Amino acid sequence: MAVIIEVLGWGGKRKQFYRLDGPSIAIGRSYQNDVVLGDAHVSANHLRLDLVNDGWQVTDLQSLNGVEILKRGHLEATANPSTELIIGSGAEIKIGRTRLRIVNEHQPVDEAKRLHRLEAGLNGLNRWSVWLPIAILAISVDILSLYLSSFVEWQWKNIVMPVLLSQAILMLVAGVFGILGRFLREESHFLGHYSLLLIAGALFSVGEALFNVAGYNFNAPIFDVFVIPLFGLLLLGLLLSAMLALASNLLPRQRWSTSLGFVILLLVVSMASRLADWGEFSAYPDYFSGLEVPSLHFTDGASLDDYTGSLDDLFTEADRTMEDQKVRTKKNN
Amino acid sequence: MHIHRHVRPSRLFFYLSLLVSLIIWPLGSLAQTESARSLFSENKASILQIRIIDITSGSKSAIGSGFVIESDGLIATNYHVLQLAASEPGQYRIEYSAADDSTGDLQLVDVDVVNDLALLQTQDTMPSPLPLAMVEPDMGSPLFALGNPLDLGLTVVPGTYNGVNQTSYHPRVHFTGSLNAGMSGGPTLSETGEVVGINVSTAGNQVSFLVPVKALHNLRAEHRARGQGVSDFTQRIGEQLKADQADKFSRLFALEWPTMSLGSAQVIAEIVPFAKCWGGSNSASEKAQFRSADRTCRSEDNIYLSGGFNTGVMEYQFFWLEADKLNPMQFYAYYERLFGDFAPGNKGSEEDLGEYRCDSQFLALAENRNSDSRKSKNIFCVRAYKDFPDLYDVLFLHGTVDASRAAFISHFTLAGVSQNNAKRFVQRFLGVAKWPS
Repeated sequence: MAVIIEVLGWGGKRKQFYRLDGPSIAIGRSYQNDVVLGDAHVSANHLRLDLVNDGWQVTDLQSLNGVEILKRGHLEATANPSTELIIGSGAEIKIGRTRLRIVNEHQPVDEAKRLHRLEAGLNGLNRWSVWLPIAILAISVDILSLYLSSFVEWQWKNIVMPVLLSQAILMLVAGVFGILGRFLREESHFLGHYSLLLIAGALFSVGEALFNVAGYNFNAPIFDVFVIPLFGLLLLGLLLSAMLALASNLLPRQRWSTSLGFVILLLVVSMASRLADWGEFSAYPDYFSGLEVPSLHFTDGASLDDYTGSLDDLFTEADRTMEDQKVRTKKNN
Repeated sequence: MHIHRHVRPSRLFFYLSLLVSLIIWPLGSLAQTESARSLFSENKASILQIRIIDITSGSKSAIGSGFVIESDGLIATNYHVLQLAASEPGQYRIEYSAADDSTGDLQLVDVDVVNDLALLQTQDTMPSPLPLAMVEPDMGSPLFALGNPLDLGLTVVPGTYNGVNQTSYHPRVHFTGSLNAGMSGGPTLSETGEVVGINVSTAGNQVSFLVPVKALHNLRAEHRARGQGVSDFTQRIGEQLKADQADKFSRLFALEWPTMSLGSAQVIAEIVPFAKCWGGSNSASEKAQFRSADRTCRSEDNIYLSGGFNTGVMEYQFFWLEADKLNPMQFYAYYERLFGDFAPGNKGSEEDLGEYRCDSQFLALAENRNSDSRKSKNIFCVRAYKDFPDLYDVLFLHGTVDASRAAFISHFTLAGVSQNNAKRFVQRFLGVAKWPS
């Protein structure tokens, strides 16, 4: 029965493996061994594995740093579990700074992971010919929105910095995910990440503009304070999940929990910072000042009498706010 | 010779008149210093330093001046001098220090916050009271303000009577003389030694203000009628504020509000004596991308309630904007920025006020049934007074939203107004300040 010795790397990933036959396997740094390791902390003749029943007996050959058994692996009930130096298939040991996994050829392996549905599409993003038009479009939208919100004399030099800065930040984020992908999946997908970031940014701008128009028309500050931030976070969750799909081998469940977990963390942090201000008195009114051009205004207006009539409720609300505050300050005292 | 004869007498007359004026001028100032000297020596005993003593530390937290107005020991001063003691009677007590260095305790018996006056009572024997003038002095007559500036001891400051200020709703005597901190609550006397006003504030550079003695007459009469001290000052102050705003707004609503134009809009001009207006525009700026003109009117009737809380101010403001070089999106970006930048006209803190609650609504207002309506966005914010029921600070903001290249913003803040008066004010305001479609 063949035995497979796997040298493990970061995150338990297999770096290299040996497939060996025979009743006894020698492991060490010297070239006489069956498994030759480069780790400076491994002794020349470090240990020996001897086939016994369905396991292996581990013999430390008086190595300098010893043998650490991390997992004993799968042992038949017949084996004597009290004998510590017997290990079964799937066992993990550490010698020097090297981790080894020992399995027999019948050890089952995980199911193959299905390629992401969007894999092909996401791969498609990783091309100059796709990225370039997206980048040109996104940067143009950027410049256009800067232009439309500028009410001082227009100077091109004033927008070079903000545009370059935002692209530099996107490049940095894409770079980080690219490095992660290079490491975990042997491909960086830098342009793919970059394109995803640009697309998400553009989607956010479009959504924000639509929600602003809706909030303005319904006179609802809730769009400003709640809907738009939530939409942004949701978009961020989606973006993170897609970028993780591109950069890692996480299962869908893990990927979604990672990205949503991050979003929830952001939500909690921002709520905590708001909570710190909660109950702080403000001498200034917090009113909904959003305005849109007339062509984006669809709702009707009230008459003057209806309006002044409706103000009574506001006075009642102001009274209630004041009474609540009185109760609160009394409590604090 | 013929000519000489005619010239000589006139030249003589000139020399003579010069000589006379040289003699009279020093005589005049001599008379003034003489009357200052005698007024000072005759009345100094009736003028007291008022001290607000922190009971725990035993040291003075505030000082001002006061003067005896009744032989039974009734003393007048400013409300703002002893506001600390009025709002925290457990923490502060009030005492006087007389010219002969004697001291004693004082009891607060009545206040008039609107005119910044207070009455104090002492059980100690007091020198003779100062007489309160019954008639207004003539314009330009010399006056003498007395008090304890900066704790330097009793001081006399000569100045001139310049009439009652016509530009404020609450009358104040304009006194040309330098009032300084610590003189507050002291009397200003005429040459005959009658009190014509109570020192209250200064605008610097010899422009100072006095509460007319008439307000003190009224407060003294109210106190005499009651026959005893006020027991609940919060209630008393609340009633005074309520009555003051009721009177102010009924006078305001009874007036015709004068209008003027700002851009294509019609705005409210100065409603004398309630508000003074200023204005400006960016028409001189060559770099300006849009055109803007504004007009701000503000009443100077600040009623002092405490160091961090005042009320009574009324402010209204108008902006006319034209897009000029901007496209509608850019124009509205600026418009939105401006629209989000309005603040209340008075000062207040959590101790005295609830937080603002705001409402935002669109209005469609038409001149009459046949004309087109103009759409606007309207913000109305209200905060309630904690100690005074049915008094509010109100902020209103109106901006037209149906023109893509021009806009008219109108805005007002009212401090210390009742719910009904605030609502009536909005109706009246929107009826007068408008951009007809």
